[in-house]
Amino acid sequence: MSGKKSNPPRLAIWWLRHACPGSDNDALAGDLIERFREGQTRGWFWMQVLIAFAVGALGEIRLHWPHFCYAIAGSSVIALSGGTAMPAILWKSVQGAGFWLHWWTLPWPLSQLVLELGPTALLALAALPVLAAGLAINRAFRWVSLLRTGVINLALITLGHISLDFLPWLYRPVPGDPDSRDLIISGGVQVLLFFSTFLAAAWLGCLSPRHTDEYERQAVHARLIP
Amino acid sequence: MARRIYLGEMELMVLLAVVRLGDEAYGVPISKELLILAGREVALGSIYAALDRLQQKSFVTSLLGDPTPERGGRAKRYFRVTPTGVRALKMTRTALTNLWSGIPLLEGRRS
Repeated sequence: MSGKKSNPPRLAIWWLRHACPGSDNDALAGDLIERFREGQTRGWFWMQVLIAFAVGALGEIRLHWPHFCYAIAGSSVIALSGGTAMPAILWKSVQGAGFWLHWWTLPWPLSQLVLELGPTALLALAALPVLAAGLAINRAFRWVSLLRTGVINLALITLGHISLDFLPWLYRPVPGDPDSRDLIISGGVQVLLFFSTFLAAAWLGCLSPRHTDEYERQAVHARLIP
Repeated sequence: MARRIYLGEMELMVLLAVVRLGDEAYGVPISKELLILAGREVALGSIYAALDRLQQKSFVTSLLGDPTPERGGRAKRYFRVTPTGVRALKMTRTALTNLWSGIPLLEGRRS
């Protein structure tokens, strides 16, 4: 057997170790190498790694389903509220926020802060009840989780909004309306970016899965040990 | 609301393989045991996912062996069933036996 043939694909091992969700991918990599050296092919090795990735990803979704529901709800709110064009959504939100907050009467820079944070706060808060319900069903509800998620989401969306000011090449003029600009990013990609932002905020804001696991372990013991 | 405690089909098969293998229960022998005894070719990633779920439920424990050159310097992760796991297996067997019994169609008799 040649050297290349006796060695498993390096990229697959790297993928398994660094990109696959899972608790102990090192042991799994060792098992795959052991089977490979018993005569399995490189194709088999890659297939096993891809299955491990898919299984791990599904496991993460199963474990963190309230976060995914929150991200889906949040990005849906954005997609459904006036299309997917971000400036239009933000402007509508500003109008709504301005009506309630009277931001134009506030001294600068408070007015600017409210102008920037008002719409993002509305967007970030709109889907929080979904996360709260999911956490409650999962028996992992904590007010601090919601608060953290809301604040992190607020920060991330605001950061994204402000960073657009430094990327003028992302805008194109709207034909027939010299005062308006439109993002060159397609609506679907924008929604996907919002989905990622909401997911990241929920991921960071909520408790570690250790808490849920511990609860599950206690429930198993309570049921099995009389 | 009490959380439902049960063993899925894959978890049950993997847990039984762990019990059968005793001190030699790690990924590769478990997959071979499932292939030989159950006729199921299961991906190692799926076996580890099932083992992780079993460990979360405290049905198995795991410990790392020594790294070996045949495995690219990676250690084996050995699994061992816990008393809670044995109890869960017995409960599952009782439930399945109860469901199985008294069905003439499955016992080869005509009703």
